[in-house]
Amino acid sequence: MDHLLPPEIAEADHAFPEALAACGDLDALLRVKGAYIGREASHVARLMDLLKAAPKERKRDLGAAINALKNRWEEALKARQTELEAVKKAAAGGAWDPTLPPPLPARGALHPLNRLMGRLVEVFRPLGFHVEEGSEVETERYNFDGLNIPADHPARGSADTFYLATHPGHLLRTHTSPVQVHTLEKLSTHIQETGGIRFLAPGRVYRKDEIDPTHSPMFHQVEGMLVGHGIGMHHLKGTLEYALRALFGPATEIRLRPSYFPFVEPGCEVDVSCPLCGSKGCRVCKGSGWVEILGAGLIHPNVLEFAGIDSREWSGWAFGMGVERMAMMLSQTPDLRLFFENDQRFIEAMGGLD
Amino acid sequence: MWIEREALAAELPAAAALATRQLAETLASLGFPVDAVEHRPGTEVLDVDITANRGDAMSHRGLARDLAARLQQPLAPLAPPPVTEGEPRIPVSLPATACPLYATALLTLGEGRTPEAVQAFLLALGSTPKLLPAVDASNELLHRYGHPTHAFDADRIRGAVSVRMARSGETLVTLDGVTRKLTLEDLVIADEAGPIALAGVMGGDGTKVTEATRRVLLESAWFEPRVVRAAAHRHGLHTDASQRFGRGADPAMATVARDLLVQRLQDWAGATLEGAWTAGKPPAPPAPVDLPKDVLTRVAGEPLLLAEAAKALKALGCVVEAEPGHLRVEPPSWRHDLTLAEDLAEEVLRLRGYEHIPSVLPSLEGPPQPLSQDYLHRQALARRLAHLGFHQTVTYGFVSPEMDAAFPGPQGEAADDDRAGRTLANPLGLEYSILRRSLVPSLVEVARRNLQQGQREVRLFEIAPTFRGLSRGPAETWTVSLLWAGERWDADPESKAGPVRAKHLLGILKDVLKPTSQEVAIHPLEGGTFLAAEFPVQAFRVPDDRIIPTFTPHSRFPAVERDLSLVVPAALAWQAMHDTVRGALAGTALVALACADLYQGKHLPAGTKAWLLRLTFQAMDRTLVGAEVDAWVAGALAAAESLGAALRA
Repeated sequence: MDHLLPPEIAEADHAFPEALAACGDLDALLRVKGAYIGREASHVARLMDLLKAAPKERKRDLGAAINALKNRWEEALKARQTELEAVKKAAAGGAWDPTLPPPLPARGALHPLNRLMGRLVEVFRPLGFHVEEGSEVETERYNFDGLNIPADHPARGSADTFYLATHPGHLLRTHTSPVQVHTLEKLSTHIQETGGIRFLAPGRVYRKDEIDPTHSPMFHQVEGMLVGHGIGMHHLKGTLEYALRALFGPATEIRLRPSYFPFVEPGCEVDVSCPLCGSKGCRVCKGSGWVEILGAGLIHPNVLEFAGIDSREWSGWAFGMGVERMAMMLSQTPDLRLFFENDQRFIEAMGGLD
Repeated sequence: MWIEREALAAELPAAAALATRQLAETLASLGFPVDAVEHRPGTEVLDVDITANRGDAMSHRGLARDLAARLQQPLAPLAPPPVTEGEPRIPVSLPATACPLYATALLTLGEGRTPEAVQAFLLALGSTPKLLPAVDASNELLHRYGHPTHAFDADRIRGAVSVRMARSGETLVTLDGVTRKLTLEDLVIADEAGPIALAGVMGGDGTKVTEATRRVLLESAWFEPRVVRAAAHRHGLHTDASQRFGRGADPAMATVARDLLVQRLQDWAGATLEGAWTAGKPPAPPAPVDLPKDVLTRVAGEPLLLAEAAKALKALGCVVEAEPGHLRVEPPSWRHDLTLAEDLAEEVLRLRGYEHIPSVLPSLEGPPQPLSQDYLHRQALARRLAHLGFHQTVTYGFVSPEMDAAFPGPQGEAADDDRAGRTLANPLGLEYSILRRSLVPSLVEVARRNLQQGQREVRLFEIAPTFRGLSRGPAETWTVSLLWAGERWDADPESKAGPVRAKHLLGILKDVLKPTSQEVAIHPLEGGTFLAAEFPVQAFRVPDDRIIPTFTPHSRFPAVERDLSLVVPAALAWQAMHDTVRGALAGTALVALACADLYQGKHLPAGTKAWLLRLTFQAMDRTLVGAEVDAWVAGALAAAESLGAALRA
């Protein structure tokens, strides 16, 4: 239908894309807009004049051709206007730079030792374990006597254990095991109703060790204990296998080795297949594929009897785990003192928050 | 304890065929982990860990016994040519019950020296040969067979020998040249002039064997373990001998070790035996122990045959009689640790290998207990504070007296607190001597260190017990402390960094503390650059343990907001304004009253400030009309004016 239009219009249409591209700003675009589709003296205005003067039988076709052309010009002008507006906005500097840091909410972190202890509680929770806690100042009765530790055991000496100056017999607990004695004593009056007990005791303990890369006068332990009917080594193994797999992954293997602690009989050390190298042998497992993770055993009958529980009817197992030791092993932290220095960078990186 | 491969094979020939790794694994599975393997000229030595209950395993022979039982291989015979005993050449009396048995011999030394092979053996174990046959032979026997012996220079002994408790004021110069003040609890070997050895621990310097020694008197005894342990502890003398006697030596070895020592002196030094005799008799053997089948089955986790258990116990040297339903077991003379059925069950499992123990999850016998509210509260609080930007610290429970004095604790100076009651008798040092009454001084130290390390902002919290020294002993209170120091900035280049102010910490505390009418104390420290707060854990909001709270309806009608711009006296506290206006509008549809803006500046009259009060009205049952709101706002203004406020022009 373009043949209906006069040649100078065809020429203007041909020049239109170039004219648009040549517009450097919105003002230039307005001038082009005026020249093409303005109310007066524009190409469209001229075409409207032409349409008025056209013979009646041509009006319909000519009108359609003019409309199509006008729509095409309008759309192109609008698109170019959007482009130029964006350019103008950017030039004014008002654009948001999403690569700049936004205002950040404050971010803190749990201490890695507390987080690890929390994780251990979660691991044992589905097996029906709850948490028992005790005080840090203890008496010899609960820290030693009730745990079948002989009266002349070297651990009772003032070279190993912190004692209070004005309260003889009061000491800073050297392990979380006094929680066993307190809990069993409480339990002894109604053990028939509860059908035994199972609990974890996480907490801080003290030993008279000078501070160095592997020693600290204060550290953390998690104690675990289960009492029931007919509890044997197979139950200890089954529970620890479950828990250590939940902690380190389903492919984890555990190994029990005979050992000795006064409050258990039989006693054992428990190794796990090295969680870092998958037992292939690495620096952490010293090439053996195994790492020692805790000490355990069946509760010594003397411990049950001390607390007033009949050891012929009831039996159980207990374990004790060094939290720092485990944390250092898993994280390959080279120096125990880092856990007590509390550098925020360390706490963020090692403890964090989920 | 060091174990030399060849000496081990001398006791258990089958051990020679084991690769070192295999040997180490077998020992570990028997309860003797190997900490290290080292190469020595011509041989290898293993550093074996022996637990405190197994004094009998502290020798090559001792470990060989357990290995032989596991490997089901025979031990080499231990049969020195017997020494014929005769009349005592020097009278030996045993007045103390702590030494029931004392075997001895008197020999005249000839020419000869310690064999090269024995020197090499001692060197391999890290022990220096003295090149005195009597001393080296005693040392060699200790490592090989585990029974400590001693040789005295017989010519320096004055009169009869007795093994007795030390007397008040007695001293002894031990072999290490140290003068020991003896106590009434020390067991000594004495001649008529006084102590010549601390029994089971160390010999005396005055009667020691030297190059000049011509005649030796041997000592191969059995001492009460408890007495030896106490003496070693008292004198800080932990010797090879005290470790073995202290854990319980084998009384049956006393004469055997004496005979072996005589034989060596005859062979190495051309010694002539002048007489051998024994005072006293071995202590009574321990009572037999029963191993009931049900205990064995429970401990093992599976039904084991009593016959199999009997076989294992016999392999370990026990005398076993099978009776219906149980075994009657007499432990061998070297095993003092087998006193309970559980001990015997352990031995059976240990020989089988713990890898054979089945793995079973115990079933619940009763309902599980919930986690305690206190524990859950602290866990939730720690997570909340971490989410609010604070870092959880773990610091020591004891501090220096200066740190302790620096801050009073979560409830201020406690009238019932006595610092002496929180003081350690034997601290690592003064800086760790007082159980702390506050966590704040510890946090201050941590904050300082973090700032020194270049951190611009430090936000810390700790949840730990604090102590009060009460007359009945220290009391512990779970305490929560927060510390905020440095520059506050959210990393946004368009927002301004500035010093942390008390209001920031107050905002955090309002979030976590229980609503309280009391003022929340914030403590400026370090010249106001550190802000700290400390409360007992009970002061913090407890997580709501209802499944879901009861429904509280909220209004569905529009709210009306009105502002009042007021000039008020500079000293007026917001709480007073808030309470007064709220009081005046009690019973109206006022749902919120906020201070929307605070202005203090030169455009205001001196001694005043400007507040923009924002009042929000909303009714539960209708849309409010302008007139009633106008009346309430007028009431609010009147209340404000009563406090000295005026509408701002």
